[in-house]
Amino acid sequence: MSEETRDMLHEAALRIFADKPKNLWAVLQESGFDKTLLPESKGGAGVSWADASRLLILAGEHAADALLADAMVGHWLVDHAGVDGATLPTVASSAHSEQIRLGRTRDGWRVDGKLPRVPWGGACTHVAFVVGSGTAAQLIVLSRDAAGISVTSGRNLAGEPRDTLVLENVVPAAVVAAPLDARELLSLSAILRSALMAGAIERSLALAVEYANLRVQFGRPIGKFQAVQQNIAFLATQAAAARAAAEAGSEAIDEWLDGVGEPLSRNIAAASAKIRTGEAAGQACAIAHQVFGAIGFTEEHELHRFTKRLWSWRDECGNEAFWSRELGERILAGDPGQSLWRAVVPMAKAISGAAAGAAR
Amino acid sequence: MNKLSFPRPRQSEIGERLRSEVREFIDGWHGNRHGAAAFSGFDPEFSEALGKRGWIGMGFPKRYGGGGYGLAERLVVLEELLAVRAPIFAHAVAERQSGPLLLRFGSERQREEIVPRIAAGKCYFCIGLSEPDSGSDLASVRTRAIKVDGGWRVNGAKIWTSSAHRTHYMVLLCRTAPASEVRQAGLSQFLVDMKTPGVTCRSIVNIAGDDDFNEVHFQDVFLSDDALIGVEGQGWQQVTSELTFERSGPDRFMSHMGAVEEFVTALKQQPSAEGARTVGRLVAHLSTLRRMSRSIAAMLTAEQDAALHAALLKDLGTCFEQEIPETLRLVLPTEPEPGASDGYSAALANVILHAPSCTIRGGTKEVLRGIVAKSLGLR
Ligand SMILES: Cc1cc2nc3c(=O)[nH]c(=O)nc-3n(C[C@H](O)[C@H](O)[C@H](O)COP(=O)(O)OP(=O)(O)OC[C@H]3O[C@@H](n4cnc5c(N)ncnc54)[C@H](O)[C@@H]3O)c2cc1C
Repeated sequence: MSEETRDMLHEAALRIFADKPKNLWAVLQESGFDKTLLPESKGGAGVSWADASRLLILAGEHAADALLADAMVGHWLVDHAGVDGATLPTVASSAHSEQIRLGRTRDGWRVDGKLPRVPWGGACTHVAFVVGSGTAAQLIVLSRDAAGISVTSGRNLAGEPRDTLVLENVVPAAVVAAPLDARELLSLSAILRSALMAGAIERSLALAVEYANLRVQFGRPIGKFQAVQQNIAFLATQAAAARAAAEAGSEAIDEWLDGVGEPLSRNIAAASAKIRTGEAAGQACAIAHQVFGAIGFTEEHELHRFTKRLWSWRDECGNEAFWSRELGERILAGDPGQSLWRAVVPMAKAISGAAAGAAR
Repeated sequence: MNKLSFPRPRQSEIGERLRSEVREFIDGWHGNRHGAAAFSGFDPEFSEALGKRGWIGMGFPKRYGGGGYGLAERLVVLEELLAVRAPIFAHAVAERQSGPLLLRFGSERQREEIVPRIAAGKCYFCIGLSEPDSGSDLASVRTRAIKVDGGWRVNGAKIWTSSAHRTHYMVLLCRTAPASEVRQAGLSQFLVDMKTPGVTCRSIVNIAGDDDFNEVHFQDVFLSDDALIGVEGQGWQQVTSELTFERSGPDRFMSHMGAVEEFVTALKQQPSAEGARTVGRLVAHLSTLRRMSRSIAAMLTAEQDAALHAALLKDLGTCFEQEIPETLRLVLPTEPEPGASDGYSAALANVILHAPSCTIRGGTKEVLRGIVAKSLGLR
């Protein structure tokens, strides 16, 4: 995709978000942003994952729901499975294989089990998920109105639907060999959450700066007080690190799918994205609320639209502790004689070797 | 793109090839080993060996003895050296900031005479900014250079000057005109041979027991006209661009990697979930900082102003370094002991004792946050 088309897409998205339409999701869908990862021949824009993440940073900056991220991945998977007519697909990236039983009867596949806290699990048209690891991984797509699916609705702190689906003898719309395994899907979803988070952190910063310049106490804007400046500057360092980590993660997805990078499950940038943005999110929320004083603690003020998303998203798709442990264990399990540094920064040759193995 | 975004760094194929060469070189180095020292050792023999390989001043133009490489390649070599605590302290300042300063602002004579020696690993620099009464408030420096026939006469004192007692030159910032309304005006930079009569140096021992920084006195020191670097009165602007180099490198977040390595070695003997989590988190920080640093290198290569980015990175990087002992000590219950035979205990002691300096040297974190606040429109 050319630089120009990319910028146009970005501009178009920005315009939509800035307009704050009441039916934001419908407008995004109409403009095809949910399908943006699909090739043009399939109604998409054929953007890279890095470009998609940039759109998600924008979405996060405008407190758009996480639905855009989940629908993007949903469309990508549903398309891979060859299922038509999915107008609102979502993804159950935290599906645990042990909670799912996939069986084959004489009339075809049947699925039983539980998909916990699926984004828009009640309202979606299709839900995609992956079970199994490595080359045995299978991609399953269910039609939401298939018989045997019962829904317990739930919500995250920001009110985004996180519905638990219980599956009883459900006939899936498709079961195919998965393009990525369950852990990789979780990693991919975590990276997209990181992009949303980086955007929401940046907006918390922008709001804090704006308010600090407006709110007057002791005869001057509170932004003139050094204590306030120092806090906001620290928030800025977190925003910068979060964006850098989220961008690195999204580039890791492209490099992997293009066959030049490591598998997501072995990629440090992929695991780091959620760890770093999750940590930044906590710091950002605390500082932003401090700057706003009581007004920021009200339902009426918009700050909570960002902070509640951050407090939710940081625990979705694996929190900092989960990914830190995962990453740490992987590193510690390596060659015992090797230094940490050389495990973290492998030689280029080793990278291309791994990439050759991952290209599927 | 906004102010806080760090452009995507360039992946350097040449750099990656260099990485394996540097590793091979390090693995075969039989000179001094400085082990877990928090800050790299001062070892002219090592510096000259690196110079011979062409790994100092890699970004300098070839006609000044440099390698004509980009900053991305330089970063690869530097991070590999820092990762093993290679003793690079002798040439580090000259290669990081004084060389680039001379190349950018120096006279042709200064460039020809000095830059090739820096690149050879034979010429070391110290930075004369801070004074007893001027720390964060750098523009208040009082060391004065007064114009005299054929040159300048300097009087005053610098303090905290790292390695002043063992370097060849100082880049001196001092007043050449009285402070006016614009406090940053009237400052100039000079190239000072440390053997110039009237320059005296007294070492100051730090809390870790190192003989590293110094007090440097100037008593009627005569500097000839050609000691001036760049333009008289432009010292502040020149220093600011130099500080971008000082603040944006991996030396601002890797100085405590030695302790992390020892920690990981010890952890492999007594694994725990908490230990794994700690390693994962540190690696996530490290890899984000690396990316940001490589990104600044790309900005500098494109001649973009990266002063804000450097301030952000140094604040993040030095807070990360400072946090390392605090994080590690709660995972493996080891009492820190300087010089202990247990590598982890010694390394832990080392980083605990050096940690306070991370967020002070090169601009305190408060000062850096002031720069960031200003760029956000808060001051
Ligand atoms: C290991 C080490 C090596 C060094 N090497 C060199 C060197 O080679 N060359 C050199 O020139 N200098 C060197 N320095 C000095 C270093 O640059 C100064 O220490 C630093 O700039 C701070 O100055 P100061 O120590 O005088 O502290 P001060 O400026 O007195 O500050 C003391 C405290 O007050 C805070 N403070 C001061 N002003 C403000 C303000 N406006 N707003 C908020 N807080 C403020 C500071 O952040 C700090 O916490 C080195 C320092 C160390 C520790």
